[in-house]
Amino acid sequence: MKALKVLLLLAMGATVVAAFLWPEPAQGFLGESSRIVFFHVPCAWTAALAFIVAAVYSLMFLVRGNPWHDDLAAAAVRVGLVFAVLALVTGSLFAKIMWGAYWNWDPRESSFLLLLFLYGAYLFLRAAIDDPSRRGRIAAAYALFAAVLMPFLFFVAPRVTQSLHPQTVINTQGKILMDTPTKTVFFAGLACFTGLFVWLFSLDARSARLDRVRASGI
Amino acid sequence: MTAAEARASFFRRSLAVCGKDAAQELRRRIAVASVLFFAAASLTLVSFAIGPFGLPPEARERVCSALLWVLLFFSAATGLPRAFVREEESGTALALRLVAPATAVLAGKTLFNFVLFAAIAAVTAPAFALLLGWRIGSIGAFAAVLALGGLGLSIVSTFLSALVARASQKSVLFVVISFPLLAPLLLPAIAATVSASSGEIPWTALRVLVAYDGAAACGAYLLAGAAWEE
Repeated sequence: MKALKVLLLLAMGATVVAAFLWPEPAQGFLGESSRIVFFHVPCAWTAALAFIVAAVYSLMFLVRGNPWHDDLAAAAVRVGLVFAVLALVTGSLFAKIMWGAYWNWDPRESSFLLLLFLYGAYLFLRAAIDDPSRRGRIAAAYALFAAVLMPFLFFVAPRVTQSLHPQTVINTQGKILMDTPTKTVFFAGLACFTGLFVWLFSLDARSARLDRVRASGI
Repeated sequence: MTAAEARASFFRRSLAVCGKDAAQELRRRIAVASVLFFAAASLTLVSFAIGPFGLPPEARERVCSALLWVLLFFSAATGLPRAFVREEESGTALALRLVAPATAVLAGKTLFNFVLFAAIAAVTAPAFALLLGWRIGSIGAFAAVLALGGLGLSIVSTFLSALVARASQKSVLFVVISFPLLAPLLLPAIAATVSASSGEIPWTALRVLVAYDGAAACGAYLLAGAAWEE
């Protein structure tokens, strides 16, 4: 495990350096602003992955009733929210440089903000219920109900309205419009951020399990 | 029990739950009174602030559509969450769990909430249009948008009402957890209302509303047990 952590540190360091030095800045973007794609998209991807993980563990909790699955679902949401905030902040910095304002109510910006509200509400809901078993069941039902309606937030709303968002990754042709160095650093960034998520998620979940065991002895 | 008998039993129980809620409401009229009072107060404020000549003609459709849905959303948030909260407060939740399955209870309460929403919309929308001098181009499309939007609002609100029924700070919690789930319904509903008021039939937005209502109904049906049963 320690070797994996060292490997992640080295890979993350190399990706950050490469993001600034290797690929040329993309055409059609102001100055070096396009380099934010190496941090912004992996943050957004990791947040989405975290919320999918939360939905899967919520379903497992409802099916099997194992409190460890509830700890995992809650941990995935907490860590996912951190990456979602980072995605919003990096996106806002890019928006300020490219479009002149930190916030433009672009459909993708808005849907991500709503996602933040949605999973913030999940934690609020958990905090409002005292009984641990009921809390797990209600939170799991909310997370799964949210997962059913999430496609409307992410895939329907941004596509029925005009978006300012660059189309390099998510576009109607279904292609990744990048040159080889950009693509390499981009996918390395995705892998590193996913590794970072797995590490933080595991730490948070184990800490939640310790809290639960200390509080109730189950 | 055959599949047909099970279906008949489900519908009979759902209607019985809806009838029980309606009878309770007619006896005390708490939800209807609170929702209508909230809608009337908001309508008075909006009308006082804007009036029939306060908006430039080019902005009227967009502003009025958005204001109408804001008003309907908060009016619904005042009354619809009471569906399950009332059962917990009056101590009848356990009896209801024993006599009907969670899906039938949820379906019955959703039906009652939809009727309640339709009653609010039937009073509020014409009064709103009248007081703000807002002419609706296509009444049929406008009614369809209200019906589909109201159905989605009722399904989601009823399901979330079951989730918050035994939580602390229910009313604040309900608004916090419902807004992000209802935003994908409210945004196309507002866009469709703008089109309907200018005389067009907003087919794309109506299809989105139908899809949202269907997805929400399936989600609520599948998760009813987790939300309501012990």
